[in-house]
Amino acid sequence: MLRRLGFIAAIAAALAVVVSTTAWGSAKAPRTAAAATASVKCGKTVTIGVAYPATGAVAAAGANQFDWARTAQKLWNKSHRPRIRLVYGDTKLDTDASANIAVAHSFASNGKMLALTGPAGSQEVQASNSIYKGSGLASISPSATRIFLTRAMTGNPRQTAKGYFFRTVPNDGEQGQAVAKYIHGTLKEKHVYIIDDGTSYSTGLADQVQANLKQDGVSTVRNHTTTSVVDYSSLITSIPNNTQLVYIPWQVAGNANTFYQQSQTANRKYKIFGSDGTDVPGTFEPKGVGYVSGFPVDATSKTYKAFSKAHGGPETFGIPTYTAVWVNARAVQMACKAGHGKTTRAAVRKDIPKVQLTSAQSLLGFAVKFLKKNFSTFQGPGDMAAPASFGIYHVNSSGAYVRVG
Amino acid sequence: MHFLLFSVIDNIRSLGWGGAFQLLRNGIVLGSLYALIALGYTLVYGILKLLNFAHGDVYMVGSFLGFGVLTAFGGALNPGIPLVPLIILMFAAAMVGSGVLGVSIERFAYRPLRNAPRIAPLISALGVAFFLENSAQLLTGGYVYSYEALDLGGKNGNLGPLVSPVFSVGGNPVTVVQVFVVATAVGLMVGLVLLVSRTRFGKAMRATAFDREAASMMGIDTDRVIASTFFIASMLAGAAGVMFGLYIGTTFFFMGFLAGLKAFTAAVVGGIGSIPGAVVGGLLVGLLESFAIGYVGGQWSDIVVFGLLIVFMLVRPSGLLGSYAIQKV
Repeated sequence: MLRRLGFIAAIAAALAVVVSTTAWGSAKAPRTAAAATASVKCGKTVTIGVAYPATGAVAAAGANQFDWARTAQKLWNKSHRPRIRLVYGDTKLDTDASANIAVAHSFASNGKMLALTGPAGSQEVQASNSIYKGSGLASISPSATRIFLTRAMTGNPRQTAKGYFFRTVPNDGEQGQAVAKYIHGTLKEKHVYIIDDGTSYSTGLADQVQANLKQDGVSTVRNHTTTSVVDYSSLITSIPNNTQLVYIPWQVAGNANTFYQQSQTANRKYKIFGSDGTDVPGTFEPKGVGYVSGFPVDATSKTYKAFSKAHGGPETFGIPTYTAVWVNARAVQMACKAGHGKTTRAAVRKDIPKVQLTSAQSLLGFAVKFLKKNFSTFQGPGDMAAPASFGIYHVNSSGAYVRVG
Repeated sequence: MHFLLFSVIDNIRSLGWGGAFQLLRNGIVLGSLYALIALGYTLVYGILKLLNFAHGDVYMVGSFLGFGVLTAFGGALNPGIPLVPLIILMFAAAMVGSGVLGVSIERFAYRPLRNAPRIAPLISALGVAFFLENSAQLLTGGYVYSYEALDLGGKNGNLGPLVSPVFSVGGNPVTVVQVFVVATAVGLMVGLVLLVSRTRFGKAMRATAFDREAASMMGIDTDRVIASTFFIASMLAGAAGVMFGLYIGTTFFFMGFLAGLKAFTAAVVGGIGSIPGAVVGGLLVGLLESFAIGYVGGQWSDIVVFGLLIVFMLVRPSGLLGSYAIQKV
């Protein structure tokens, strides 16, 4: 009898779990739908989301994005109205795909949130874009660089909805072209070894540079590593002796510097070329043999100098996060003004492509405005229009970055 | 598959004997580090039958403690004291600090669960691992910190003595830091074997591992023995953390995760609970990883290492030098 009662109790408990889960799920859907169309009173402060990797293997890159987002918030709130409040979500990037989705659902159902900075990784954008679209939010990523996010190319459709995705970082096509042109055209290298770190950012960029170099007749060899492995001694052993340059478009600048140090220990004499992910003076210092592609930041800018002072040194990887927060804040401001103190996500979304920042405002070293249609070979709506580009820097024998291209 | 095979053959040919020697050298150095961490897994498992998944993060803390001492004395580029005492201090701080951390973990996260089902301390171990990892991230900002081992002790802008060659084989140098890592690891392992096999405390450890209840009835303070075992295991991890910093040149909050898993693999492959097994397993994992990176490609190293773990679990779960536990039913 008792056993039977226990069985019935177990069935009842299971049913209760199923019913409550379904109820919770169905309640969440209307919440997201309501948030998508809700009219928000702008008041004194508006809410903007920031989705970035606070933890996980690339938390160092996430920390840079966080620091720059806070800088943007502080500066905006000093002299602009409405003020902005930033709500942060940890997407973990690469270590836990579910975290990114959880952040997307949480932001989508947050009725106060009007705009979004992030997510950081291209794969995260792909995974969450439909959730954000369903909630009416447009995202501005500061570091998702895969070409297909904004531009359909042969065999690859565009992977985000038009009008729902923008980025404040030039894409892989643009960076790949600039890097390959410098390696082949200026440095005149014939044998290049390319190592990606296994992240979506790194593999996409490495693919692009490799394709461009091959087209130019440069001999390339490709290898891979991961962000959590830092003993590169065997990887260095496998690099052929005739290699003139090793291209490492990695996400963690500290790892890239470890690679340089271990190359020195192994007495290898090749040049080392990093990407915007390794563009961290003071951390990535391949003295005399290093190059990086990075944003042509105006190092004399007051904001940049103040940031460097407050954070113990210069850092440029996170600057597009500053720019993205600034674009979002400006779009919300425009929408609030047009709606006479009230606005919706849809209105903010429509205002994002209208935002234009001067070079001084964007901090990137160039003015920002967004493309409305396809341009050149790689760019599409949501990308930044010219003069957005990368500069090439040489790391001289004292570790300083000197612009050379 | 054919392409992969051809690529491996091509790599073996192009790297030649010189490359093979370099991969062997790298594998032995890396394996020595894995072996030291694996010893911690094996010691704790031997005495408590607990998989201490927080052990990898104790190793990470050790590495940061060593880095803290280096920084406190002015950093690698401008150390305030000579190199040898500096390195001794780094090891002392890392080993004692990690040992104390290990004892604290045992006292607060495992001891209250000693009579609970075996899954409870395992979950507690995972919790401690995440706690340590995320605390380290908060404290260090998630950045990668450089030991600057390349310059440590160097004068007038020249490279430091750690990276100068001790001897060469066919023109392939073996550096001071590589010899130092292997020699220190071997020294610590020999010391541990002597401690366990030749001392009263070692006898108490073995008795506790064999039958905790009976050992307790014979007058052995098993709580003290277990705490001491955690202290020794964590000390070894702390030493491995500093060696990692001096050899690899870097330290970061995430480093314990993968290293811990690989050392766990080493302990299982060697036979968990067996001290010589942990050493053999560590070297095997280090060598496999090194040759996989050199001959197959960097993206294959984890597949090869963890593939080995699966093979051993299926074919020889007791490991190379482990023994099957016979249980009276």
